[in-house]
Order: sequence, then structure tokens, then C-alpha cells
Amino acid sequence: MTVVQMNQAKPLPLLNVRDLCVDYASRAGLKRAVDRVSFTLDANEVLGLAGESGSGKSTVAFAIARLHHPPAFITGGSVTLDGTDVLALKGETLRQWRWRDVSVVLQSAMNALNPLLTVQAQFTDLFKAHGIRNKAEIRERSAELLRMVGIEPDRLLDYPHRFSGGMRQRLVIAMALALGPKLIIMDEPTTALDVVVQRELLEEVTALRQRLGFSILFITHDLALMSQFCDRIGIMLNGELVEMGPPLQMVEAPMHPYTRKLWNAIPPLHPPRMPPRRVLENTP
Amino acid sequence: MSPSSSSPILETRKLGMVFRGHRDVAALTDVSFQLHRGRALALVGESGSGKSTCAKILTRMMPSTDGQILFNGEDVTRPGNRKEVLAYRSQVQMVFQDPFAALNPAHSVRHHLSRPLALHKPNLGYGEREDLTAELSLMVGLDPAETLDKYPYELSGGQRQRVNLARAMAVDPVVLIADEPTSMLDVSIRLNILDMFKPLKRDRGIAMLYITHDIATARYIAEETAVIYGGRIVEIGPTSTIIDAPRHPYTRLLLAAVPEIGRPFGSADAGLVREADRVRAISREPGRLAEVAPGHLVRECSASFA
Repeated sequence: MTVVQMNQAKPLPLLNVRDLCVDYASRAGLKRAVDRVSFTLDANEVLGLAGESGSGKSTVAFAIARLHHPPAFITGGSVTLDGTDVLALKGETLRQWRWRDVSVVLQSAMNALNPLLTVQAQFTDLFKAHGIRNKAEIRERSAELLRMVGIEPDRLLDYPHRFSGGMRQRLVIAMALALGPKLIIMDEPTTALDVVVQRELLEEVTALRQRLGFSILFITHDLALMSQFCDRIGIMLNGELVEMGPPLQMVEAPMHPYTRKLWNAIPPLHPPRMPPRRVLENTP
Repeated sequence: MSPSSSSPILETRKLGMVFRGHRDVAALTDVSFQLHRGRALALVGESGSGKSTCAKILTRMMPSTDGQILFNGEDVTRPGNRKEVLAYRSQVQMVFQDPFAALNPAHSVRHHLSRPLALHKPNLGYGEREDLTAELSLMVGLDPAETLDKYPYELSGGQRQRVNLARAMAVDPVVLIADEPTSMLDVSIRLNILDMFKPLKRDRGIAMLYITHDIATARYIAEETAVIYGGRIVEIGPTSTIIDAPRHPYTRLLLAAVPEIGRPFGSADAGLVREADRVRAISREPGRLAEVAPGHLVRECSASFA
């Protein structure tokens, strides 16, 4: 903490990723999926990572949460979260660190929830795994979390199939918030949802973030959505982070040709008054 | 050519579909629209709105429970015998959402393109069929020499969707129904796939029903747009009117929620999004479709929103 106080110009970032490399082992040898990726994420910031399928964006997210498993190996670099050397964590310490410091929301809420357990039972599992055993406390905290994401607490005794896709994703977000993590990694959290539901959910996440002050690493292929929701955007291509900046700068003055290509691939809802971008694309 | 100046090639009149079960589900109610040659109609709605049910009925994968379908002015609501269904299907073809599931993994691209030719044009000789297969491949931007002997697993998602379109075009249809043809593809190639449909409309006079959840792409490809919610069309009209001057609360909600560059969260649109549940409730009401301008119809509902 003293370091933070000494460095008054700018507080240390919450997350510091340096030269991260992740390789996949295959019969043909090592395939580099993430190539010397470096970035920082501040407290209470939303950072977006965009890219096509296979660009390595999810692999980065999984490595940061230490959720990668063979044949994926972290072969270089460092990840520091709030002073903790993430890559050095192991065993019980790692298990406790996960969810308490970093939680993860994945695309398919259908698969993230156990269809055979009530929502309450799944919250109980989560709290027990992190040393909270008092039944009354668990019930109270679960109810509060549900209220937070706009679901009536009396639905705790329902099974996941009784909820709509959007509500299931709300449940997963409630679980991700359960232990008050500093960072929530969201990997395509709304890709399977309708646009209206997506917007409702992300507006709610924005409000929660303002209230609770967590940071978000937001992975998506939807650049337009990212430009609305994130404070900064990073573009990934073939395992490399090719460009990063605030949405406005990334939209109006992208440096990397690939970033421009991605923007041009989005048909604008309201065509700009300037000449169409697709024409500009062909000019040298 | 305005829609009123030509007679529609395919038309639905008050089409309805009820799935019977221990609780009946009305998937479609009072769905009326027209498809014209050389034009596209976008059917925009969220999952469960009935848009894919509509595609299945129009391609004869299931019968409707109510209303009429007219093809070239002829009532084709009841699918006839196998010969009639085959004749109808050679006129109305479908491109599916999932480019991976729509191709048989055990067959080459050549098989996928020559099989419909053999079925629907049995009089072709082997050589003619081979020539047509190569022509189809070229039409969708795939090099025949390189592609025809490949198997689906050797192709990317975009290439597979090109094969799907070539397969649909093999039988010279006049109507093409595309159900979310780009939603499973990477963003960067979606427009390339949509670009393939444009010359088909323009040069071959194909009438197209473009089913999508993405209203922004409707502007890109379709002259008319119908917004469907809860199995009912809530608003239908020229695409530019629907997007720039929407009248129905659900259309406005949809447009407010569509991700758009340069419109950060918390801006003016957030108001309507906060009332989403109320908008959904009134959008399920069985109001009357009223014509507010020539060709622009809006379903009446009980409340208005600021």
C-alpha cells in the first residue's frame, strides 16, 4: 500500500499483465496462442478485448484467472493482481484466490449453472468453498445478491431451467459478485442474448460497478457494443495485442489496419454523413 | 420498382401457427407480408419471436394452422403431394443459420452442389451438371478447382456459408429465405456474405426474405423491414422509415438497444431500456395494424412512451 501512496501521480494498476505468452501443445509442436501480450487494468475500469474467433482473447482471460489447462501452457510473462503474483499461486491458495479476487462470467449461462441443483444450493456451494458456513448468513447473502441483479429472492429455490436466458446470466453475475471480487472477467457474457436483454443486463452491470467499484475485463467480438460499454479497448489479432486505446480514439483514429478493417465490417445503423467508410477503405 | 407496382411473388395472409401441447403456444398470429422479385424483406425479431417458424412454414418444413400462403397468386397453403412440394421447393430455397450443421460432413462440396441438380433437373447430362457445379461455385466466389473436392471440415465458416448459398441457388429458385445467414460467422466476414445476396436480387430478380435479429444489417440488404414480436408483426414498412422514424414502442426499444458506435451507455436511450418490461407487455397486445403512411403499418397498442 505504501507504494501506492508514494506514487501520487498515478495509482498502481489493479492488474498488470506483462509479456504474457500462452502456448498450446499439439502433435505438431507448440502453437503460440498468446504472444507477448502486455496491458494494465485500473481499479474500477472496464477494459475490452476484441478480436475474431481464434485471436487468443479468451485464452488471455483464462490465463489471468488461471483457468487454462493442458494442452494450454503459460510459457512466459507475468500477471500481477493487486500485488499478488498470479502465476505463482498454487493449491489451496489458488482456489481461495479464485472467486474471492477474480471471478469469471462465461458466455453460456446454461452450462455455468448446474441443472440438478436449486439456485440456493449453488450459492451455498460457493460460500462453503470459501469458508462461510453459517446457514442464516448464506441465505441472507444469497437473497441480497439476487436483489442486486433484479431477481426476487423467493426464486432461490427454483432450478435453473425455470429462468430465461437473460435471468440465468443475471444469476451467474450475482454469483460472480458473491465474494466482492476486485476483477470480474466476462467472456462474451451477452453473446447468446437478445439485444434488448443484453442492454438491460449491461446497464445493470454498469450501475453495480459504480456502486461496488470492481473492474471488468470484457471479452467480445462485438466492437460496437464494446465501444459503448468499455473505458478502453484492445484489439487482438493472431495472439497479439495490436492496438489499445479509449473507444473514441479507436473509432476515429485507429492506427492499425486490422482495427480499421474490423470497424468497416460493422454496417452502421445510422449511416454517417461523411462518405461511406467502405469507400475510404480502398483509398491508399 | 415500388412494391405496389408489381404483384408479389410470395405472399402470406394472416398466417398463424399454434403449437398444440398441454399448453398451446401461438408462435405466429396475423402475419401478412409480401415478397417481390428483386427486393428483400427483413424479418427482424428476438429469439422466440416466431421468425424461424415463419421460415419453416414458407419452406414447407411444417404446415401452418391458420391463414394463407400465395405463390405467384396461387393458393399453396396446403402442401400437396410430393411432386407439388418438390416443385415448390425448387422455387423457394433456404439458406440456414448454421453453416456447420447444414452441410453433410461425409460429402464433398461437389456432391452438395450436384445433388440438387440431379434431383431437380434430372434431364441434365453428366457434363452439363459438372459445368453447372463449377458455375455455381464461381458465383459465390469459390474457385471450383480448389474447392469442389474439399469436404466441409476443410472450409471456414464463411466458405461453408458460400457453399450453402450455391446449393440453394443450384435449382434456380425465385425466392430465397435466409435465416440468420451470418449470425454464426465472425464479424469481419459478415458483410462479405451479405454482399453475395445483392447481385442475386439485382441480376437474377431473386425475392428474398432475410431473417435476422440484427436490425443494422437490415438496412444493408433489405428494402422493407418487418419487426416481429411475440409472433405478431408490430411494424412493417420501408427499412429507412422503420430505422429512422420508428413508431411502435417495441421497434424503438429494439433500436435503442442495438449496439452502435459513438453512443455510450447511459445516454438518452437508457430511458426506454429501463421500461423494457412495460414495452414488452404492451407489444403482446392483439391490436390492429394501422397504416400510418403508404406502405408503413404499425400495430396499435394501449400505451405510448416518451
